[in-house]
Amino acid sequence: MPETFNYDAIVIGAGHNGLCLGAYLARAGLKTAILERRHEEGGGVNTEEPLLPGYRHNMHAQYMEFFDIMPMFKDFELERIGLRTIMPEAQAGIAFEDGRPPVIIHRPDLLDRTHKSISVYSKSDADMYVELKKRVMSMENLLAVNLYSPPLEGDTQLQGQLIDALLGDLGITADFVMKTPKVVIDELFESTELRALLYRSTVEWGFPVDTACTGAAFLTFIMWTMGNWKMCKGGTHSLAKAMTQACYSAGVDLVESSEVKEIIVENGRATGVKVANGDTFNASKLVASNADLRQTLLDMVGQDNLSPKWVKRAKAFRYGPSHVLGTLTMCLYEAPNYKSAKYDEEINKCFYTLVGFENELDMAQYIRDAYNGHLPKPAAGTWVNSIWDQSQAPPSRHSATGWYFMPPKSALSKEEWEEVRRTYNKKFIDVWQRFAPNMTSDNIIAERVYTPDQMERKNMMMEGDFSNGEFSPDQMGPNRPFPEASSYRTEVEGLYLCGPSAYPGGGVHAACGYNSFKVIANDFSLDTPVVASRGY
Amino acid sequence: MLKEADVIIIGAGHNGLALGCYLQRSGLEVVILERRHEEGGGLTTEELTLPGFLHNVHANYHTFVDLSPPVGDLDLRGHGVKYVRPEVQMASIYEDGSALVVYEDIDKTVESISQFSKKDAETFKKLFTEAHGYVNLLLSTLMFEPPMSVKDLTKALSVFGVNKRSEFLSVKLRRETINDFLNEHFESDKVKAHLAFHGAICGYSNDKVGLAIGFPLLVGKINNWHLSVGGSHRLAHGLWRDFAFHGGVLITDAEVQGIVVDNKKAVGVRLSDGNEIVARKLVASTVSVEQTFLEFLNENEKNEILGNEFVEKVKNVKHQEYSLFSVHLAMKELPNYVASSFNPDVNRAWVVNLGYGSLGDLNNDWRLIKEGRLPTPHPNAAVNSLYDPTDAPEGFYTGLLRQFAPYEVKTGNNSNGGSAEWNVESRHYGESCIRTWNKFAPNVEDSIIEFATYSPHDITEKLPNMVKGDWMMGEITLENMLDVRPTPELGQYRTPIESLYMAGSTQHPHGFITFAPAYNALSIIAEDIGIESWWREV
Amino acid sequence: MSKIYTDEWYESVKDAINKSASTLKEVPKGKWILVIEIVGDGVSPYVDEGSERHFLVSIEDGKCMWYEEIELGKSLDVKLNYRFRGNAEVFDSIAAGTLDPIDAALGGDIKVKGDMRFLLRQADQVQTLLLAYTKNVETEWPLGKPPYVRKADS
Repeated sequence: MPETFNYDAIVIGAGHNGLCLGAYLARAGLKTAILERRHEEGGGVNTEEPLLPGYRHNMHAQYMEFFDIMPMFKDFELERIGLRTIMPEAQAGIAFEDGRPPVIIHRPDLLDRTHKSISVYSKSDADMYVELKKRVMSMENLLAVNLYSPPLEGDTQLQGQLIDALLGDLGITADFVMKTPKVVIDELFESTELRALLYRSTVEWGFPVDTACTGAAFLTFIMWTMGNWKMCKGGTHSLAKAMTQACYSAGVDLVESSEVKEIIVENGRATGVKVANGDTFNASKLVASNADLRQTLLDMVGQDNLSPKWVKRAKAFRYGPSHVLGTLTMCLYEAPNYKSAKYDEEINKCFYTLVGFENELDMAQYIRDAYNGHLPKPAAGTWVNSIWDQSQAPPSRHSATGWYFMPPKSALSKEEWEEVRRTYNKKFIDVWQRFAPNMTSDNIIAERVYTPDQMERKNMMMEGDFSNGEFSPDQMGPNRPFPEASSYRTEVEGLYLCGPSAYPGGGVHAACGYNSFKVIANDFSLDTPVVASRGY
Repeated sequence: MLKEADVIIIGAGHNGLALGCYLQRSGLEVVILERRHEEGGGLTTEELTLPGFLHNVHANYHTFVDLSPPVGDLDLRGHGVKYVRPEVQMASIYEDGSALVVYEDIDKTVESISQFSKKDAETFKKLFTEAHGYVNLLLSTLMFEPPMSVKDLTKALSVFGVNKRSEFLSVKLRRETINDFLNEHFESDKVKAHLAFHGAICGYSNDKVGLAIGFPLLVGKINNWHLSVGGSHRLAHGLWRDFAFHGGVLITDAEVQGIVVDNKKAVGVRLSDGNEIVARKLVASTVSVEQTFLEFLNENEKNEILGNEFVEKVKNVKHQEYSLFSVHLAMKELPNYVASSFNPDVNRAWVVNLGYGSLGDLNNDWRLIKEGRLPTPHPNAAVNSLYDPTDAPEGFYTGLLRQFAPYEVKTGNNSNGGSAEWNVESRHYGESCIRTWNKFAPNVEDSIIEFATYSPHDITEKLPNMVKGDWMMGEITLENMLDVRPTPELGQYRTPIESLYMAGSTQHPHGFITFAPAYNALSIIAEDIGIESWWREV
Repeated sequence: MSKIYTDEWYESVKDAINKSASTLKEVPKGKWILVIEIVGDGVSPYVDEGSERHFLVSIEDGKCMWYEEIELGKSLDVKLNYRFRGNAEVFDSIAAGTLDPIDAALGGDIKVKGDMRFLLRQADQVQTLLLAYTKNVETEWPLGKPPYVRKADS
């Protein structure tokens, strides 16, 4: 017998943005339910043991760069209730097959070491990197305000003015905003080693290297977050655990295995949802969706309840190819020992290590292949978290996780994806051992690759797009997901967006959920979460 | 991380979580520490094969849903926990293509048994009726109270004249095996095999002297198997939600390295990451006795407080002689059994015994298992999707094969034996289990799109508190029952260390999703620290 | 001889229990409050179908100190130790000596809530007190005595 439940607010999806919004709504006194399609909370903030017991792997999100500024982190005392982090000194490195020195970006408090590492290839690159990093870090609070506020109209123009003011004396002027990230990187840095590392870091965030008018993303976003990465002790899912616990404490009812099939719209107002088993959850005030744009509007609301313009906008929203990843998971006897370690042992202890790219051309080719619907030649960004966090693998064993760039799900057939699952890791291991000779198949206890088609199935990340919508100028900032919907409000009264299809997009910052709450707080006269001392 | 709490509970399995809920609701500040990245212990549901396929890695069957006080006391249904009680509960399919089916409806069950023996059908009905009548009273007395001694219990049963009142329950059962009981009352090999098989999945092997005593109670619950909708882990979420809603703090990835003891009293714990948490009132451990007393205490504490005799007892705590080997499957078709021509309902049975046709079949496997040999598979097959379609993508099904198996395995003549040999043997044995299934349901092999094995070795790798693959956390035998489980010193949930309690499945009554160890430990704790027992509202 | 469920009858039950208790070598020390809930089942003529009669009984050191019928739904200001609940026919039959109270409890006809361990440990005493009640009270049955003829049967 289908049942009916009554709430003030319904949040669709227990990804980290949904959890963030749910916690604030409940704290503001609204009777709140979060409905999650899966059996487990956290969405992309997900750690599993997909291979063998005791070997933990982060299936989607890997590193965390916003804990220091994320409002929920302090507002809900996530650290007190168990969230712990580790911030490895060596943050991002690139190793080379020929064994030449690696390039390693260190933590922001160790810029001298970063400088030294880049200097091996180019002193001017090192100077530029360090100076840029310092300048951008100096305006962290401004960037944080920008992140944790709904997007501003005229964003591009403001970015230009900001860059002029901040970096103009380095020759980086407002026009850089119009460039592609690759052009910006190439103009500022000369060494092919550093360029390769920075291209990859840019696309890792979903910013396409070859798309015009996204240069500012490199200058502000990538240079800001680069090397600021923390590891969640125990796996990224620890964040979901802490956020969920905050929700529970605040009184949120989180209901798993409840796939929302329909957002009920009466007289242009969202009044609740229907879930797959037939149950109805009424929402007297609002429904907020953490699902992507097309699912929310076309599948759940339905075209009949939308204006023709919104139907067109929703249909035109694009997923991938810019942020489509495959996750490799491996259980290892030994952590990789890179040829490049003979110059700098830190490469063996990097949080994040690029493997399979000799130079910028390799990297550009790799990215362009994936973007163009082809499977690139195997290479990856890798994490061996157990080096830093013993709990992520059994004693004296290691857990390796990595990201491959892959074409969107629909670029390959079902059979082709099956083939990828059978063979791609093995091909990559052949590559890996050329960079780290101990990474032979004898060192691999078990392995599996988790492909974009599976990500779509698992988390409804359409096309395997980690950002739930391509990052390109027409889908970024005040244009995300499209201008009329960029305020988190929709044309259906009482229906809000709170997931990564909205500004700022994918990534573990909880800004979509937080900003959505700000808008909702305003609409329903709830207490604002803005804390004067942090300014957002 | 928080630095202190009134109560520290080690382990976020269902017992740890439930104890935490009660104590937190009683106004204490409770923190639960879990070594893994997930709460739930045996209540774990994972996508072991493919995304969207939910596999209950450990606990799959919940038989005490309606009897366990926490389900109501903690309003678990209000916290999203949902159960279904499959209409066709269980079946045995025999080599000759016949099948015995246990339904939720006992009359239909009796009818199915009568296809094998009219007399056994009558006996079963009497046994069930009698056991079902006293099962609630006896279970609530025996399971959901701190244990009394076998002596006290025997005396009470004899004063109340249970021998005279009951055809089946008798004091003499404590000297009998389940085989003895079945041979005394039943005639059909197949009926006996099914009843013995049912006991064995409850942890009661049919060849152990003394276990006959609990057997009628098991029969009284034979039609009471429940499935947790959305996976067994959902129950863990419900418990956690109640706990956190009342202000409790669960910390995952918090591996306890040591219990801090001051003046023979437990005053906190030390985590492997260096954090220390002070326990103002008490520490309760729900993990193994081996971990609690041999790992969490230092040599000095072991010598001075525990003493050598106690330490030796802990080292010698016995574990179940058989463990479980599992194959988790993602399938595109439901099994279509050959035996469905005998009884079409086997295709709707939640759990199916594939091939044990006599007590001898089971006895033979126990013998092999004790020698560390792998029996020719007689797996049981559970298809949860029959009753919970949310556990697989639309049009697909989740399957589970479970096979009784040894923890330490000898795979060949040159083998030294050991649990790690499972790493080599698992895939092969899994395929062999699947072939057996396919023999009974010939569409199975083609319907499998992926499978993952999970061996007794994996059980302990994942949950080290289940020592030697022992999902009961201590052997079920008469010598390890009631107030002497796991040792006489620990039988009442107290320990030689003041303010340190044992509250997990090592304790009376045993493993399984009963909540009874936690519930009983709660009674003792309440008595010791003076909490008004709101949960014992008469 | 007193009519069932009248004040005189309760008095004689109380006397019978106390008489037996005084013969016991050991009686459990302490105070217990029990409630007995008799549910009208349409079979017993003494409790209307759909209604219930609840009695509070106080036991101290094995002796019945007092009893009272309590109003349904009224919140009690005493803490209960045990609750015995069953159909009127069951309780009537026990009083008539045609149903063994232990059978009734074991068979689930009477639901018992409270510290069961204590009851088991005091099996001797429980047995004696129950016997006193069923054997030593002479009861008059103005509306008929169990076993009742069921309406459906007649």
